[in-house]
Amino acid sequence: MILKVALRNFAGQGMRAFLNVSVTALIIIATIFSLSLLNGFQAQALKNLSTTDVGGGHYRVPGFDIMSPTDWEDLTQEVPRQLSQFKHNEKAEVLVQQGQLFINNRMFPVQLRGVEMGQQLLDLPMDHLLRRQQPVADSVPIIIGTQMSRKSKLKVGDQVVMKWRDKHGAVDALDAEVVDVVPLVNPRVDEGVAWLRLDHLRQITLRSKEITWVVVEGNRGKVEGLEFIDTDYLMRDLLALLANDRRNTRLIIGILLMLAAISVFNTQYLNIFKRQKEIGTLMAMGMTPNQIIRLFTVEGGLAAVGAVLMAVVLGIPFFAWFQISGFDVSHLSGTGIPVRENIFLEFNVREIATAVSIIVGLMILVAWWPVRRISNLEPTQALRGRGIT
Amino acid sequence: MLNRFARFLVFFILLAQSVACAEEVDAQKLLEEIDANLWADTKHIQGRLIIDNGRRVRELKQETWMEGVTKSYSRYLSPARERGTKMLKVKNKLWLYTPQTDRKILISGHLLRQSMMGSDLSYEDMMEDVKVSRAYLATFEGYVEYEGQQTAILTLKARKPNSTYQTRKIWADPVRYVVLKEIRFAKSGKPLKQVKYLDYVPIDDRLFPRQMVFRDLLKTDTKTTYAFDLIEFGVDIPSRYFSQSILKR
Repeated sequence: MILKVALRNFAGQGMRAFLNVSVTALIIIATIFSLSLLNGFQAQALKNLSTTDVGGGHYRVPGFDIMSPTDWEDLTQEVPRQLSQFKHNEKAEVLVQQGQLFINNRMFPVQLRGVEMGQQLLDLPMDHLLRRQQPVADSVPIIIGTQMSRKSKLKVGDQVVMKWRDKHGAVDALDAEVVDVVPLVNPRVDEGVAWLRLDHLRQITLRSKEITWVVVEGNRGKVEGLEFIDTDYLMRDLLALLANDRRNTRLIIGILLMLAAISVFNTQYLNIFKRQKEIGTLMAMGMTPNQIIRLFTVEGGLAAVGAVLMAVVLGIPFFAWFQISGFDVSHLSGTGIPVRENIFLEFNVREIATAVSIIVGLMILVAWWPVRRISNLEPTQALRGRGIT
Repeated sequence: MLNRFARFLVFFILLAQSVACAEEVDAQKLLEEIDANLWADTKHIQGRLIIDNGRRVRELKQETWMEGVTKSYSRYLSPARERGTKMLKVKNKLWLYTPQTDRKILISGHLLRQSMMGSDLSYEDMMEDVKVSRAYLATFEGYVEYEGQQTAILTLKARKPNSTYQTRKIWADPVRYVVLKEIRFAKSGKPLKQVKYLDYVPIDDRLFPRQMVFRDLLKTDTKTTYAFDLIEFGVDIPSRYFSQSILKR
């Protein structure tokens, strides 16, 4: 009976009810959108890091830190037999050294990164290096990323002087030929990086069989002389950034939700103020204060249910349209965030259910809160319209 | 008859001279003589480092005290920005003190490869602390005329694989035992640095250049000139000059 009356009353509120439902529905859509966009962004960034650099973790020479280039030359060692036995799709050997490119009278400090050509674990477009099987003679073939190309103004076919040190510290230099400029989705392996064949880098630095790290699918246990660095550690800066983004998103959602809650609260408050005589009549007819509170709370709750329905009706076509084009994040290409392509929403059912439940729960709470005062109402005063002042 | 004899005599003298010139120089001995001319137990130098990076020229005045090949102490006198900067080298360690920070920094390992004060020289180049004749094996390549004088070209190959430059080529005056020009090569043979030694003047019983001009051959339009205004050999240097305690205001 209460539901029937509540429905009739709710419909009778007209535009006020519609506005409450619309605002709440939009907040539900915005919440699902922002959470799913962040999920999509996170998934894409982590995937890009994983497929171009991190894999399932690194076996590294202890003490190696990519942020300390002056130590790179001291932190290499021969690849242990335990790792060299792995198949090409299970590991990728990498050697990192310091180098300099001399371009138009400018010196470019670069990371010389040699990667095993047969490896199939990382998704790196190194086809042009793959064909250069001959040992280094007069020039060293290198590949650079588009971002590096833009900054250094190097293009395919350019030859520049490349300088480095060999294992003993003797300085050496040769012409380096840019054999390809490739789009790399991860700027960390693009900006300031010159890619070489691993055998070439080993040859010119006299570091036969040496590596700085070996990318693996996952932890393969203890390996003599190397330490395993897991993906959480290798991606820690990105994960921290994303966690921070998630906190900020929740804060914005919280503010939006508060605005919607204030709107519903305000509606309910006005309702009991304006409908005192109606409340008095219901009491005179025998309804207990608790029944009346339930009636008003259900009315408020109907706004939340209506909002969920409206969110479904409006949200599904919007999300379907969005998933066709995705979100362009090309403006991030100058940053260190490893996402270049358009990102798409990634829906997490549990997360959405939690968010919607919180919104509906909050709406019911703010619908109930103002009407609690009815429990102290004198029916005679209410009939005169003086119960609540 | 006398005329014919005189002509024969002149011809013979000229022939003898050319044979003497074409005679192979003992390259290693020449290198040792060059080292002996340049190196002294102690040296005191006042000079200017003129750094031309192609866009602007900076001049840094400095004063240096050197003991043997392993100890040196420099302090910068001008410009105002660099005044008070000090450098102390003891064996293979180099400390840099800047008055702005009032701190001394140990420049070691790979940091030594960085450019010194934006010049064409690296700290490593400045710190070279072995006699060239000990670190390299010299080979005589022949004579060439360089800036109007006959010079012997020597190719120097490093004795140890850890020498920064594995090959050097020097244009040396075999009579005065001085180097006029030097090119330092990468292992691949690519020329990396050029040093020209200019305006040799006699100081005590040595010949010492008034200027050394360094060029990084991988860059264009840059050069660093080290001009010596005062050079003294065999001076007494207080021991505190080679102690880290000197690195303060």
